[in-house]
Order: sequence, then C-alpha cells, then structure tokens
Amino acid sequence: MSDALLSIQHLTHCFRLGKKQVLRAVDDVSFDVRPGEIFGLVGESGSGKSTIARCVMNICQPSEGKIFFDGIDVCSPKERRAHRKLLQTKRQIIFQDSSSSLNQRMTVADIIAEPMSIHHITPKRGSCRAEAEFQLHYVGMDPSYLDRYPAELSGGMRQRVAIARALSMEPALLVADEPIASLDVSIQAQIINLFKHLQEEHGFTFLFIAHDLAVVRYLCDRAAVLYHGKIVEIAPTKELFSNPLHPYTQALLSAIPIPDPRRERARPLRVYTPGPVTGQLAEASPGHLVLREEEPG
Amino acid sequence: MKRNPFLYYGQKALTFLMSVLVLSLVVFYVARLAPGDPLVSYYGERAEKMSVEERAWAEEKLGLRDPIYVQYVRWLSGALHGQFGRSFKYKADVLEVIGGRAGNTLILGGIGFLLIFGLSLLLGVFCAWFEDRLPDRALCRVGTAVSCIPEFWLALVLILLFAVSLRLLPSSGAYSVGKADDWGDRALHLVLPMAVVVIDHLWYYAYMIRNKLLEEVRADYVLLARSKGMGKRQVLFRHCLRNILPSYLSIMAISVPHILGGTYIIETVFSYPGLGTLSYESARYHDYNLLMVLSMLSGVIVILCSILAQILNEQLDPRMRSPQAPGAGEEGGHG
Amino acid sequence: MAALLEVKNLSVSFDTAAGEVQAVRDVSFSLSGGEVLAIVGESGCGKSVLCRSIMKLLPDNARMKSGQILLDGADVTGYRERDMRRLRGRMFSMIFQDPMTSLNPTLPIGRQIGEAVLVHQPKLKRAAVRRRVLELMELVGIEDPEARYSLYPHNFSGGMRQRSVMAIALAANPRLLFADEPTTALDVTIQAQILDLLRDIQQKLGTAAVLVSHDLGVVARAADRVAVMYAGKIVETGTVEEIFYHPRHPYTWGLMRSLPAFARDGQPLYTIPGMPPALVDPPRGDAFASRNEYALAIDYEEMPPLFRITDTHYAATWLLDPRAPAVTPPVGGEPDV
Repeated sequence: MSDALLSIQHLTHCFRLGKKQVLRAVDDVSFDVRPGEIFGLVGESGSGKSTIARCVMNICQPSEGKIFFDGIDVCSPKERRAHRKLLQTKRQIIFQDSSSSLNQRMTVADIIAEPMSIHHITPKRGSCRAEAEFQLHYVGMDPSYLDRYPAELSGGMRQRVAIARALSMEPALLVADEPIASLDVSIQAQIINLFKHLQEEHGFTFLFIAHDLAVVRYLCDRAAVLYHGKIVEIAPTKELFSNPLHPYTQALLSAIPIPDPRRERARPLRVYTPGPVTGQLAEASPGHLVLREEEPG
Repeated sequence: MKRNPFLYYGQKALTFLMSVLVLSLVVFYVARLAPGDPLVSYYGERAEKMSVEERAWAEEKLGLRDPIYVQYVRWLSGALHGQFGRSFKYKADVLEVIGGRAGNTLILGGIGFLLIFGLSLLLGVFCAWFEDRLPDRALCRVGTAVSCIPEFWLALVLILLFAVSLRLLPSSGAYSVGKADDWGDRALHLVLPMAVVVIDHLWYYAYMIRNKLLEEVRADYVLLARSKGMGKRQVLFRHCLRNILPSYLSIMAISVPHILGGTYIIETVFSYPGLGTLSYESARYHDYNLLMVLSMLSGVIVILCSILAQILNEQLDPRMRSPQAPGAGEEGGHG
Repeated sequence: MAALLEVKNLSVSFDTAAGEVQAVRDVSFSLSGGEVLAIVGESGCGKSVLCRSIMKLLPDNARMKSGQILLDGADVTGYRERDMRRLRGRMFSMIFQDPMTSLNPTLPIGRQIGEAVLVHQPKLKRAAVRRRVLELMELVGIEDPEARYSLYPHNFSGGMRQRSVMAIALAANPRLLFADEPTTALDVTIQAQILDLLRDIQQKLGTAAVLVSHDLGVVARAADRVAVMYAGKIVETGTVEEIFYHPRHPYTWGLMRSLPAFARDGQPLYTIPGMPPALVDPPRGDAFASRNEYALAIDYEEMPPLFRITDTHYAATWLLDPRAPAVTPPVGGEPDV
C-alpha cells in the first residue's frame, strides 16, 4: 500500500434522515489511487461518489473507515492538525458548477491567488499577479482575463479558472467532482484534453468523478463502479470496458448512447434489476476486482 | 404515511410547555441580574432614605432575600395556581393591573396583524402580477418611502389632519369619557392608531411577498403549468401563492412580537391605555412580578404562533413532514 | 402530407441591458404529423428559445421580430394570450430538462396531472378525471398508479418524475410535443428508457415531437430528422442518417469529432477552437467562420444560404458552392452494421 498516493480503506458514511432512518451513502469502500494516474469513480446519482470526494477533502467526516493521503490519516483530527498545511495545499478539488463555486465578486486574479495568501506562500514568480498569470496561461487562457469577473466568462473558461486556482497550490492530488458535466460538448473536449495534458506532461494525479462513461473510458487509467454506495467492480479502464463482469457494470456500459443512429437503435437495453448488493470484492484477474455474492456455507 | 394525531399534537403540546418553561426561567434570571433597586418601585423615593435594617425587613417582606432558585420555585408554584403575585409599583394583583389594558393592546395588535397579513398578501400579489410595469413600479416607490416614515411622526401628522383640522376622529384614549361600553366609540378611537400600525408595517411584508412570488413565477413548473394550457392567473393563485405561503406564515409568526411591540410608541402617542407603557415601566422599576407576566404573555403568543405556523406549513408543504431519503420509496420504472 | 407545423423566417430577440440579443435568426423549418425532429446545438444557440417562441411562452423582454408560424395551415403568428391558451396542452405541450423543478413540489402528482386534464375539460366529473389520470399514468409506464396517485414529487425518482411530466404533457392529447433536453438530468440507464417511451408514445398516439438536445447519442436514438443550430441559425438539416453519415457543415463535423466516442486511442480529442459569438452583435458573415478551419474568404463577408444537397438535406456553408474547393469530410461514412 505504500505506493498509493491516496488510500481509502473501508470507508463508510451514513446520513441520518430521521430518528430511525439511516442512509448508508458510502458503504465499506476501499481503493487506492497511485501517483500519476487518473482514477475514475463512476456511478449514477445517489451512488455516493460525491460523498467519497467530500470525505477525501475532509468536508465530511466519515462514519467509519480510514483515508490515507500520502501516508497521513486525514480522518484523525490529531494527524490532520499536525499536517494541516500540507493537507490543504496538496489536495485540491474542482466542483461541477463553476458558476456557484467561484465567488462572483472576486476577479480571476484574486480567485487564483487567494490560496497563496491564505497559506502565506511566497509566490515563486515575484508577485501573486504574476503567479496567477502563469497559472492562467498554464490552463490555456489569455492573461487579459485576469481582471474579469466569473460572470463575464463562459462555462468552459470558468472551469479553467477553477482548475488554475487548484493548480496554484501545486497539488499532488486533484479531486474533480463531475468537472465537465455542465459544459457543452465542444467545451467538454477542451477540458478533457487539459486534464490529459496535465497528467501526461506534468504528472498530476486525479480522482475523477463522473457519470459519463464515454469520458471515463477515454480519460481514466483505472476506474471503480459504484452502486448504492458500494464498489461493484474496479479494474483498469480497458479491462473494465472490454470485459465487464458485474451485471450492474454491464447494464451501465450497455446504456452508453452511441452517436450513430443505426447502431444506437440496434442497441439492446439491458436492465439491471437491483437486488441487495452484498458480498465481498474478489479478484477476477490481476487488478480486476468484482463484487461477488458470498457463497453460502 | 399516516400519523397518530394524538401523538402528533401531544408532541406539539409538549414542545410548547417546554418552551414556556425555559422562557420563564430565562426571563426570571435575567430580570434579577439587571442592576437597579427593586425597592424603589415599591417604596418610591422612600427607599433611598431607608436604613440597613429597614431595607432588610422590606426585602424579606417582598421575598427578595432568598437565593434566586428559591424565588423562582416560589414564583412557579404560585403561577401554577394562578397566583402571579403583586405588582410592586401598583400594589395590586398583577393580573388586575394588566386586565383592562391587555384587551386594548390585543385588539389593536391583533386586528392590526390580521389587516397587515391580508393587505400585504393582496398588495404583494398585485405587484407581482404587474411585475416591472407602471402599477408595480409606482407602488414599490411609494411603499418604500412610506415605510421609512417614523411611526411617531406619522401618528402626529394623522392626529393633526384628522383630529385637529378635520375633527373627524378622536386624537387619544381608548374611549370617550363615560362611554366605556360603547363599542362604536371604541372603534372610532381605534382608527388612527390602527392606521399607523398597518401603514408602518404593511410594505415590508407586501414587498417580501412580491419578491417571493416573482422568484416562484420563474420556476420551471410554472412553464409546465402554462404549457398545459393554464392561464397566468390560475398558475399564480393555484401554484405560486400556495408555495410561498409556508415561508410567509413562518415570517408572520415571528413578526407577531414585532407588530405588538410596534404598538408601544403608538400607544404612547395616542395615550392609548395598553400594555406598551406598562412593560416599559415594569422593566425600568424592577417590578418583577409584572415584568414576568408581561414577558410570559408575549412569549406564549410567539411560541403559540410559531407552532401554529409549523402545523399549517406541514399541511401545505409535504416535504416538511418527515425527512425522507432522497429517492426513498422509489422503484425503477418498467423494464 | 401537409405540414403540422411550419415556421417561416422566424427571428426572436431579447431586449437586455447589453443591447438586443438576437437569439433566433431567420429560422425556417417544417414538421409533419407523427415526425420527430431533433434540434441540436450548444447552450445559447437558441434552440430552447425557438420552442418557447412557438408556444409563446417567452419572458416579457422577448420580441418576435419577424416570421410566421403556421399550425395545421392556420397562421398563429398574431394570436393573443387567450387564443394561445386554448392551443397549449391540446395542440402542443412541453416537457423540460429537470423533472424535479418542473413539477410543483407541494402538490400530489395525481392532482397535477388531473389539473392538466381539467384545464381543457372543466366540466369533467371527479371520478372521470381520476380515471383519466390513472390511464395516463399507465400510458407513461408508472407502475401501480393507484398507489402513486397521491404521492408527491419528492417521493419519486428522477425517471418517474420525468414520466409524470410526460403524463401531464400528454393529458389533452396534443398533436405536437416539445421535449427540451428531456433526458439531460437523468441517469444513463434511465435515459434510454425515457427516450424509448417517448418514441413509443409518439408512435402510438401519432404525436409529432420536437426534441431539443445537445447530446448526439440521444438524437441518434430518437429522431427522424435533425436540424443543427449555431448562433441562432439552422446551419444544417437532414434526415438522421444524412446528418450522422454524410454531414456537410463544418460545425456538424466539429460537434461529432469532439465526442470521446469518436476518439482514437492515444490521440487528444478534437476541439472546436474559439467560442460561439456573442449574439448581441453577431458577425456579418458566417457566424462560425472564425472557428472554422475550412473557412473561405467569403465566409467572413456574406452569410451562406442553405444549399440543397438532397430533397431533405440542406446545409448553410459556402463549401457547397460549386466554386468552392473540394473538402473531404473528416467524419461520417456508412457504418458496417
């Protein structure tokens, strides 16, 4: 486990709904994210994928389980205090809706430079503004946008600013919670290319959360499929798409729309009849784990 | 999701009793922690000339020497038997002191509240209907200006106009001398104070309704309702108004003391014998027993109103009943 | 076959503080009964405005500048609100992107559907309304409608909510249904179900539909004909096969090539450079010219007309002019099924 940048072990998070009802949003989830890879977390709404991201970022305190980031147990308040600065700079998150996750009354330059002033980091490039300019250039935007406000930018540009803000801390891990879901197709492609570029050329590690399987297939190295808070299958992306083993994964893959009328219309609909998801992850082939019902006896 | 009504209302009643108890405890302690000399209210200026022994005797007589919790338990057991003690200042039973005046304030505040409630709804809906067109814009300007007028000034202007110049309405008191039982005369005396209460608060609530309605009108379900062929008016009344009522009701419930409290200045200007002056004096002269009853009275009204609003809200908005799992009770559609 | 809906040279503008936003610019199309036309484009291209302007459900600052709307041969361009109300629901109705916000959260589902029934038959008895509502719920595939009649929207899943919205839209047997991104807010596994339901119902009742979407996969599944919109104009229109297998407009090519499904392994995704133009002051020539790698000099000067390719297939690009250089489309071609 020492080679993992992020290691999630038996993570469980429950939401209290009432006096008696408890929703297990995340249920005994374990996986590792290795340095330099894009790890995809796929699931439908309500599968608990955003809750995992929140736990990783310490926005939620998990009910059970441990999360290790670079060997630090982020769920233990003691260790969190001891490594506060490292944790807050080396993990960064990008949210889905950049129109609400960026402060409307701050300029682009302020947004990008804010983390530096919070953590009292001396900008490498002289001034905060120069640093912001560098980061903006890094994500492919013109420095002339530095004094604009988020409302003046398009969705794709806002998302780039959010990425630039995250990158200004030179994080080891970027958690991207549905970063492209609210963007147009042609803009989605730009952001996907940017992620790919950041990974390949600069070695960033991503925890990429998405519901769009076509994007995951293209972008991610490994992926886990979540269903009702449990991981049902986890495998290298190629393996997952060519040889899905769990019936839910199969149903999910068969649901990817194909932009081709004849093949799309010929596509059979597979419906996964939800049963109780129980059992243990078992290794089907090296690196490919599937949730299997426990054999009685 | 059937609930047991007995359990439901029992729970609400319990909440009510607990809140009242906590309130009485807090008011009791805070009143006694405030600096000042309670003996002054009982003995007037004589209190300052008292010797140490006399003071001790007087405090013993009024029960002020015991520890606070003993005093509280004594007060509470008295209150449970309907004995709220004597007013230090008026040297009479508290309930007697309040008696006549509570009715006056409740009539002024209560009718004022109902008027504000109804008129602000009407005005808000009217403005929302004419959104950004002339009637709406004009009302918004006038309303904002009017709500900035200080109460006492407005009261004086109205007195000058209707009582002094036109001589249409009486300028002060709750009734003319010797006409205490003449309801017409009482109503006539109510007109001016009531007008000030309503005019001063009305726009605040009407504007809130207007803005909430406009927010609601922009929702998608309005578009769907209109695309199925409903008219603008039908949608506004059947859908939007219903949806803003819960938040409006809660705000109105909280505003009860605001409106009741606002009557104080008005009561002073119009020399209207209500609770306003009484509360002020009781706090100032440490007339503990009177203060307790007055605070409890307004507290009980507020707590009652908010519980009532909560019950109404739960009738109107199903989401407020029991918390539900996001998607609980859902099953996939057909296969 | 006579056209059910015919839109001629429709232009719609919004008056905003920044100036006049030309959301729909000179759009013409027609739709026959029982047909599904998909309108594809990115956000802000005017596709939703187009639908809402036909139903006359635009906000107050919108203005229909020119054009004609013919419904079943009757000119409804000048209709007032009262006349439009009679058409809405019976002639056409609409379903929206987010089924959570398009249902009133404080009314039971059954009542909301019933309301749609009552609007056009106000004298119907209570029991008859209830019968009709249950029938509609059955039609859109809500299982056990009796039990779900008095449930509230928050008790339903996303797919079920969208089915309820459909029941409302279908309550008065409209002949034309506008579906504005009906599956965008839904999970992938539900998307196809809802699309197939839409298709089923449309065939069962003979309803025509205008399907607005940005998702080419959705369009491929449900549409008969496709119109591609860019910056308020229709730039290409044709049957679904023509658009997907023989696209002719560079913007259509760009849209398709930026899909991860068309990406080759290891290659970065194709992206359309630049951004859509602001519609406050649209460029003089082809609005797409500055992002178009195949742009000709004339693209910057003059707006291209719709060139005819086949009887059903038209595209507005100067590349189709006989004088233009020949360009091999980077996408398309018949698939081997």
